[in-house]
Amino acid sequence: MSVAVGIISGLLMGVVFGFALEKSRVFEPGMIVGQMQLRNWIMLKVFLSAVATGAVVLAFLNGFGLVKLQPKAALYAADIVGGLILGAGIALAGACPGTTLAQIGVGYRDAIFTLLGGLAGAVAFSYAQPWLAKSLIGTGPKLIFTDFAGIPYWQGALALAAAIVVILVLIERLRRWRDDLGADVDGNGAEKTSQSRSRLAPAE
Amino acid sequence: MSPFEKAWSPYIAGILIGLLQIPAFLIIETALGASSSYVTVGAGIAGLFDSSLFNIDYVARHVTANAKNLWQVALVAGIGFGAFASMKMSGAARASISPIWAKALGTSSTGSRYAVAFAAGFLMLFGARIADGCTSGHGLSGMAQLSVGSTVAVAAMFVGGIATASLLLRRI
Repeated sequence: MSVAVGIISGLLMGVVFGFALEKSRVFEPGMIVGQMQLRNWIMLKVFLSAVATGAVVLAFLNGFGLVKLQPKAALYAADIVGGLILGAGIALAGACPGTTLAQIGVGYRDAIFTLLGGLAGAVAFSYAQPWLAKSLIGTGPKLIFTDFAGIPYWQGALALAAAIVVILVLIERLRRWRDDLGADVDGNGAEKTSQSRSRLAPAE
Repeated sequence: MSPFEKAWSPYIAGILIGLLQIPAFLIIETALGASSSYVTVGAGIAGLFDSSLFNIDYVARHVTANAKNLWQVALVAGIGFGAFASMKMSGAARASISPIWAKALGTSSTGSRYAVAFAAGFLMLFGARIADGCTSGHGLSGMAQLSVGSTVAVAAMFVGGIATASLLLRRI
């Protein structure tokens, strides 16, 4: 595949990705911080819907032999240490590496600093990589859960998707997504709007 | 789900994002991801000032102008354009800083927010590169592929995020 095809398909897919991130409001700092403070559930809903869809899609593509899976190696120490640092960064940024660009796109100026910090972090890691690779990251097998059960990937993927659907139905029952939007669809004051709505409910 | 609406159901948006795995696997033979592009761009620029950086294998792999590396840079740039287009179509224009930060940080100083954002970006990418993936690569793609390592990374990500947002940030 040529570089041009890569760039053009990347741009087109990115536009769709960014459009969906903006429409779902998940790129809002209020949604990310709200999720991490366990008071706003839009991030988890978008995330799990995308995971379930990806699992169904890949169950078919891989099950019919059209594509090979590309799982990352299981590097437990690196996954845990890196994951914790990444999570702390996500909470303070109110963004992830991808949604930072969506924030810049809609005009959040602080996201430009998140991007610059991210580039600096990537450069710092690059300098430290030869040492970190030996001391922390190491190597590991490309393990997927269905390897333990000895069943084909597609069966596990469809089971995961079904489990996610059940979880999402339950979460939506506890907290409707519209209640998490807030007056300016930025997750700000979402709790207040839903409280006042439920307080008004008996009078209606 | 009209493009002129300000908010779509998170389920519809999530399904649309998940469907992007189809072109990613079929055209690029890779899964959705975002954080390696920061190495491609960051180390690509830093290498202009310190060319010894390119002697590191990891950097050389990421700055090669091949389809996969540039695809991800284009993808991440495209996210900015897509979000901009969506915002223009619905008219959901934003202030220059989200109003939640004055509450979360306990100050409305823009300088403080910029400093926190820079540090947060640094942590985010330093952590993502140690873990070899972010919310997209480990989260969306790794979990959909039932990857054991990705599931551990995503659990750690939420633990780190919840602890930080609860201990360091104020209630929003």
